[in-house]
Formats: sequence, C-alpha cells, structure tokens
Amino acid sequence: MSKIKYFIKQSWLLIASSLFFGLILAVANAAWAPIMEANKIKKLDGLMAVLLPEAKKFQLDEQIRLESPSGQTRTIDLYKAISDTGQNIGWAFNASGFGFADKIELVVAVDTDFKKIAGYEVLSSNETPGFGDQIKLPWYLSQFAGASVGQLQLERTGNHDKIDDQIIAITGATISSQAVVNIINNTLLPLKTQMQQKGLLTGGN
Amino acid sequence: METEIKPTKSVYTQTLTAGLWRENPTFRLLLGMCPTLAVTAALKPALTMSVAVIFVLVCSNLVISFIRRQLKPHLRILMFTLTIATFVTIADLFLKAYYPTMSEELGPYVPLIIVNCIIMCRAEACASKNGLVISFLDAISMGAGFTVSLCVLGVIREILSTGAVWEIPVMPKSFVPWTALRMPVGAFITLGLLIALMNLISKRKTATAA
Repeated sequence: MSKIKYFIKQSWLLIASSLFFGLILAVANAAWAPIMEANKIKKLDGLMAVLLPEAKKFQLDEQIRLESPSGQTRTIDLYKAISDTGQNIGWAFNASGFGFADKIELVVAVDTDFKKIAGYEVLSSNETPGFGDQIKLPWYLSQFAGASVGQLQLERTGNHDKIDDQIIAITGATISSQAVVNIINNTLLPLKTQMQQKGLLTGGN
Repeated sequence: METEIKPTKSVYTQTLTAGLWRENPTFRLLLGMCPTLAVTAALKPALTMSVAVIFVLVCSNLVISFIRRQLKPHLRILMFTLTIATFVTIADLFLKAYYPTMSEELGPYVPLIIVNCIIMCRAEACASKNGLVISFLDAISMGAGFTVSLCVLGVIREILSTGAVWEIPVMPKSFVPWTALRMPVGAFITLGLLIALMNLISKRKTATAA
C-alpha cells in the first residue's frame, strides 16, 4: 500500500499532465483533421488536373496492391478521370520510390487505354536543391508526356525535346533522374497488368 | 530547492533584452542549430519556424513556470519533454491544416522543435525557477533573438542564392545566383561568418569600454 502511495505521490503530476495534454491534442486533431484531409485531396486534385486538363472530376476507382521489386507491398490509389460528358478520358494514380535523399512521391497520369503517359507531377520529394529537384521542372517533366507505357531508359546525353522511351538525365543528378524513371517503370506495367486482370481496361493490350 | 529571484523592474528589462544580443540563443549560446541550418534557405520558412518556436517557447515556459513547485527533480526533464511535445504537435497540426505548403517545406523540422535545445534550456534555466511574468518575458526575448537570427540568415541566403527576398526579386538581372548558398554548405558558411562578425563587434565593444 505504501508503495502505491509513494508511486502516486511521485508521479501524479506526470499522469495528470499526460491526460490533460492528451485531451488537448485529441481536440486539436479532431478540429483540424478534416481540413488536413481536404488539403491533401485538393493538392492531389490540383496535380491531376494539371496532367489531365480535360477532366472535369477525378473519381477514386480502386485501391490496387502492387508488389515492388524489393518485395514490399504498396497500395496505389487509382483515380478515373471523367470529362464533362461523363466519359473516361484517362487514369491518374500515386507512385513512389526512393530518390537521392528521401522518398519521392509522384502523381502519374496515363491515357484511357493505358498506352501513353500523360505526364507526372511531384507530390513530395526532398531532392538536392538546384540538382535533383529539377525533376519538378518542365524540361524534365515534359519528356514523359506522350511517352509509351513500357520500359523507359535513362540516357546521359541526347535531345530532351524528343518524346520517346529515352529520358535525358539531369546533369549532376543522375540518381534522382533514375529514381523517377524507376518509379514509373516499376509502377506502370504491373498496374496495367492488374487493371487488365480486373477488367478495368477495355481496349487492346 | 533553489530560491526564486525576486524580480525588479531592471530584472524585467534585462530578461526582455537578453535574447537579442547578450544571450542570443543562436549566435551567443549556439543553441537550436538544427533548424538554424536547415530552414534558413529563404526568409519565409525561417520566419515560419521562428513563429512556431516562439509559440512553443511561450506556452511551455508558462506551463512549466506554473507547475514549477510541483516538479520532482528526477521527473522534471520528462515533464519538460511532455509539455514541449504537446505544443509542438499543436503547432505542427496547425501548419498542416492552414499552411500545408509551408508545412511540407519545413518537413520534419517542425516536429524536431521538440528537441530544440533553446526550449529545453529555457525550461530548465528560467521557467522552472521563476514566476510567470519572468518566464513569459524570457520566452519572448529568446524567441525574438532566435527570430532575428534566423531571418538575418534567411535574407542573406535567399538574396545570394536566388536574388530575391520573400520571393520578390531585388537583384539586377545580370546577377548570377550562388546556388551553393541554398544547400547545407551555404548554411554553415553564412552562420560561421555571422558568428565571427558578432564576436568581432563584441571584442571591439569590450576594447572600447576598457
């Protein structure tokens, strides 16, 4: 009994404070969680709208589980891009992988048949300023817009205005450039296969 | 139990001005170096970080000062961490909700305020030994000193690395940006030079006084 008394005497302030602070945090979280969720959706919608400007809205179609080359399972949120007339005009989804400094999260868009890439935008990254963060710049991004869904190759030199399966690397940031190519290569084909199996893609191979 | 200092008017004034020069947390005490180096690539993130630190510093100093008589010596660090972590989480959630772009830019450095030595140091050195008024003034003073330091670093690095202040161009078009100043190396060099400048001014002041 005296031990319990001693314990309470020593730690009552810590226990009371923990409960009080926990309550404050719970209230703050409850108040701001809907705003944070709305921010996330707004950002994603904004990026998807940049990639597929003809789309009127993006509808979460399915959550697809993919296995990465390292054996880890990741969930892809697949959004269907819907036009004014209610037609499906493409697909958009999140894709991620490791870059030079940290995880790179992308939003990738493809056409209705999953044959051509409409482009990608960076959702979050922490690549080196002035070098790796050029993955967000139009000259690098534009190399992917219109490229075929397949295995893209990274080249150190070449013409970055030419749209083909060769992506010209950022000088001084080969790892970041390769990371983007890898993320797209490792996501697109496995995702396409799964979508075909689920019957989400109607046309061709 | 240590005796509390009975505050006089001059103690209030001294406390309020200490953080700006004499005990400047960044350039004099060399505390809180992690955010100082990490978020001063531009003025906006530097100022946001400073405001977050002032909020946490003021709230934690007030709470710790309020409960100082109940603090058990062996549990005090635990209580400091608990208090600081609560206010840092509130600041982090607030930024995520209302300033999501800035929250992303600051990344892990907002949650890392929990281990910012300035806040822990003020809780230990001031708030746990003084009344609410002194603790509040100390938090404002140290917060202001931290803000000024971070903003000076932010302005210098932003001008030289992008030719702009608060994203508004201020340098002529012919100016070639020093990209290195946006990177960690730029933070170390600028901080080192500013500390050297502070020391030089202090030495000259002492020499003149003598």
